[in-house]
Amino acid sequence: MNLLARAYGGLIRAMAVGAALLMVAVMLTVCLDVLIRNLGHQPSAHFFTLSEYALLLIPCLGAPWLVRDRGHVYIEILLMQLRPAHRQRMAKLIGLSCIAICLTLAWFGVEVTVQDWVQANKDVRSFDAPRWAIVMWVPLSFLLMATEFARFLWRGESPLASMAQTAGSEAH
Amino acid sequence: MDWTGPALILFGATFALMLIGLPVAIAFFATNILAAVLYMGGTAGIAQIINNGFGAMTTFALVPIPMFLLMGELFYHTGLATRCFNAADKLLGNVRGRLSYVTLIGGTGFAGLTGSSMGACALMGSLMVPDMMKRGYSKYLSMGPIMGVGGLAVIIPPSAVAVLLATLGQTDVADLLVAGIVPGLLLAVMYGVLIWAWTTLDPHAAPYFAVEPTPLREKLRLLVLDVVPLVGVIVLSIAILLTGWATPTEAAALGALSVALLAACYGQLTWVAIVKAVEGALKITVMAFLIIFGSSTFAQVLAFTGASSGLMNWALSFELTPMAMLLVMIGVLMFLGCFMDQLSMMLLTAPIYFPLAKALGMDPTWFGLIMLLALEVGYTTPPFGLMLFVMKGVAPPGTTMRDVYLSALPFIGCVILLIVLVIAFPPLATWLPGLAQ
Repeated sequence: MNLLARAYGGLIRAMAVGAALLMVAVMLTVCLDVLIRNLGHQPSAHFFTLSEYALLLIPCLGAPWLVRDRGHVYIEILLMQLRPAHRQRMAKLIGLSCIAICLTLAWFGVEVTVQDWVQANKDVRSFDAPRWAIVMWVPLSFLLMATEFARFLWRGESPLASMAQTAGSEAH
Repeated sequence: MDWTGPALILFGATFALMLIGLPVAIAFFATNILAAVLYMGGTAGIAQIINNGFGAMTTFALVPIPMFLLMGELFYHTGLATRCFNAADKLLGNVRGRLSYVTLIGGTGFAGLTGSSMGACALMGSLMVPDMMKRGYSKYLSMGPIMGVGGLAVIIPPSAVAVLLATLGQTDVADLLVAGIVPGLLLAVMYGVLIWAWTTLDPHAAPYFAVEPTPLREKLRLLVLDVVPLVGVIVLSIAILLTGWATPTEAAALGALSVALLAACYGQLTWVAIVKAVEGALKITVMAFLIIFGSSTFAQVLAFTGASSGLMNWALSFELTPMAMLLVMIGVLMFLGCFMDQLSMMLLTAPIYFPLAKALGMDPTWFGLIMLLALEVGYTTPPFGLMLFVMKGVAPPGTTMRDVYLSALPFIGCVILLIVLVIAFPPLATWLPGLAQ
């Protein structure tokens, strides 16, 4: 169980590192594109396409880590007016809603991916990419986000940043 | 299809879910699922959310957002921001209200480079306020300029918020970025005049204290080594945009690389700084991109159900003059700013505002700039503007919300005056983009 939890934690971190590397790679690719153009050559159109795909992969790879880090922005103005006990109950309800929404999107994301796979759909840009290979990261991301929200609930913690400490201390 | 039902459900559900504390991105997704089931053919519509997100995210126009964020985070974590403050501090010498001017000059540079009003407020609040209070500055003069310069972050390029707004409004990104230069500098001057008038009328607000004089040679050294290269990065980013040598995406990527190279030249590009900068930029990028993912279907359902055009025609049916309509739109943004972040406000209003502005014959760049300024005012307006709470969070113990409100008011006044000026003299916003073309 411990090994599984460690492997899972490693996966979340590895995906976040992947997202970070992609972000830096996009920066370097765009700079390289400018350099090649100014040296009088024609930069590859694939640079453009790969950067566009990276824009989808960055949030998909980073989203579960962001949930773990309680990095999502939310409005706390009404939440903070509630009594602590009600606030905790509300936080649980929010956590459950997040799980339901993420699982719904993961389910339909799988449906889209399978459909793209079966129909061999191509995403036509500077090169033809198998669409499923790019779309598949969306359901994976939502599934892991749901898992992360579930971890908070399992441990009796709040997924919301400003309630992290109180929820954590109450859980202990 | 009657547009009122879909409009009420879409906006009502999003508002309600956000207000109960659901993360903003998830609130958009929840509304999308509801709208897909109701208006897009049941569960088949939910698959469309994934396809819409795929299309909306793989758009090259969004590349500048992570690049500008990376640029700002590198500037902060490599210590270049502190270097910028120290240089401004030494160069100013013995003037009354010196620390307020340091905040203004350093903050303008920081805000310009990072494009983050929250970041600028949080950094300068913790860096400057304790020192100012210790020197006997009034709490209002200590906190006011800090919240004020936050407003510069969204309009002085490079600004990730401006890139996103231009993308949402389907207007030219470079034009909106360049449009912010003149009003941004004007706002900085207005703040300077305000501080000068304040310290002249009430000398006790900023007690004079002698600082060790900096020799001219040292001042020149600071100017050449610390100020010129940092300002150079901003000027370079703007110049390549203005001359058309680079697109906003290229300017953003080159800007981020320039800051990294500059930090390396100063010997401040450590692994720790790089990791922290990339991590910081990644957090905001992922959060923002997920919200954009969610809002792509929101905007589509608004259009598909006729809610966008219905709302627009409803607004036009009042036969208000364009000016009155503009004031109403600004008023709505100011109201939303009481409890919402800038990103959510933009994503909710842009699908309606830009077509409405176009129908009323407004220049989209000019309108975009006014919208950016209004977003910032909303962010700093009592009683609930989010920036006020950031300031309260970093202010010394004993600071009340009333203190924060009173500190913000004169600076909000300057931004409102700037909005009036931009409305009265549109060339303030349109002259430079026109020149670049």
